[in-house]
Amino acid sequence: MGVHTYHKPKSLTEAADLLAADKTSAIIGGGAYLRLGARKFETAIDLFDAGLDYIRETDAGLEVGAMVTYRRLETDPLVRAYADGVLAKAVERIVGVQMRNIVTVGGTVFGRYAFSNLTTALLALDADVVLHGAGRLPLSEFVSRKPDRGDILGAIVLPREGGRAAWQDLSRTRNDYAVLNVCVAGSDEPRVVVGARPGVARLCPDASAAMAAGGDDAPARAGEAAAAELDFGDDLRASADYRRQLCRVLVERAVKEVLS
Amino acid sequence: MIIRFELNGRSAAWEVAPGETLLEALRRHEITSVKHGCDTASCGTCTVLLDGKPVPSCAVPAGRVDGHALLTVEGVPDTARRLGEHMAAEGADQCGFCSPGLVMSMIAMVEELNDPTDDEINAYLAGNLCRCSGYVSQTRAIRRYLEVTS
Repeated sequence: MGVHTYHKPKSLTEAADLLAADKTSAIIGGGAYLRLGARKFETAIDLFDAGLDYIRETDAGLEVGAMVTYRRLETDPLVRAYADGVLAKAVERIVGVQMRNIVTVGGTVFGRYAFSNLTTALLALDADVVLHGAGRLPLSEFVSRKPDRGDILGAIVLPREGGRAAWQDLSRTRNDYAVLNVCVAGSDEPRVVVGARPGVARLCPDASAAMAAGGDDAPARAGEAAAAELDFGDDLRASADYRRQLCRVLVERAVKEVLS
Repeated sequence: MIIRFELNGRSAAWEVAPGETLLEALRRHEITSVKHGCDTASCGTCTVLLDGKPVPSCAVPAGRVDGHALLTVEGVPDTARRLGEHMAAEGADQCGFCSPGLVMSMIAMVEELNDPTDDEINAYLAGNLCRCSGYVSQTRAIRRYLEVTS
């Protein structure tokens, strides 16, 4: 790791002061990809002891601290009871328990990783992000705006009522990243989201509208709509054509599950 | 920089570099049960328990353990020996490179899961790769170990 100074602040405020004081500093997340990237950090700020590993129900909704790990998400009773346990389903097969004990919610969301299962699920659940200082904004807005050097992600907030939700993905081996992932949430105002296209997860307005219109053929029409409205790409896991066909099928299955 | 932490039940104070991984620091301090495998947090042979949770030490900054508790095979010789005997009896132990990480994951699994099914064992240990034996003999050894210790 190309790090010259390492800090482990005890609070978000202390982290923000460190970040502002040194232009070469950056927040590290769980750390899973630190050695795999070429990025050098003059000063690394590790939030491990900053008190951000909480999951709690508040008036705002279900609040998940930025340093909550995937393993915690998949085992926490509040998260498992929320929206048909869709967040646990999204992360529970990623690599192994060890990896999921260090990968964090904040590191994933802040990194805007296109292959992410979690980001797909959080977008479908209409999550907000809470930035230290700048406050709360929709995740959909956060993922599409340019990163600001002063941003520190403190938590994500899920709406109070999780409602119905379904998860679908396909991977080449059980613990590999997904070739494509799909999350569908909410039966009244449904949100169909598709990720790992391999581009970053996108909300599908046409597929969501087809699902909202209802009827016996709503799942099939939502699948067709998602396949038509999204862009897909080739990479080492699959071709764009394969992903488009997969999208149609996985969206249909997820919509069917939520409407059942 | 100096980190102060609990290593295998005893307090330790180590000088580590700001960019050093926990794996590098452990091996430099002759905690050599912890193996350097894939270096991408995928193979599990560098697994240690940080505050009781299995983590890949190749992906943890050494500075992070300051103020926390760390457990390696050096701290659990009896468990390691017993599990090793079951592995040998089932023909599951060949080169042995994956064994220390597997032992640490097993200890965490026994703490976390109550009377696990084979599917639950396989899911819990999916992050510990073995390139010699396949996993059938390992699963048999783990079953035997759980039967005898429970």
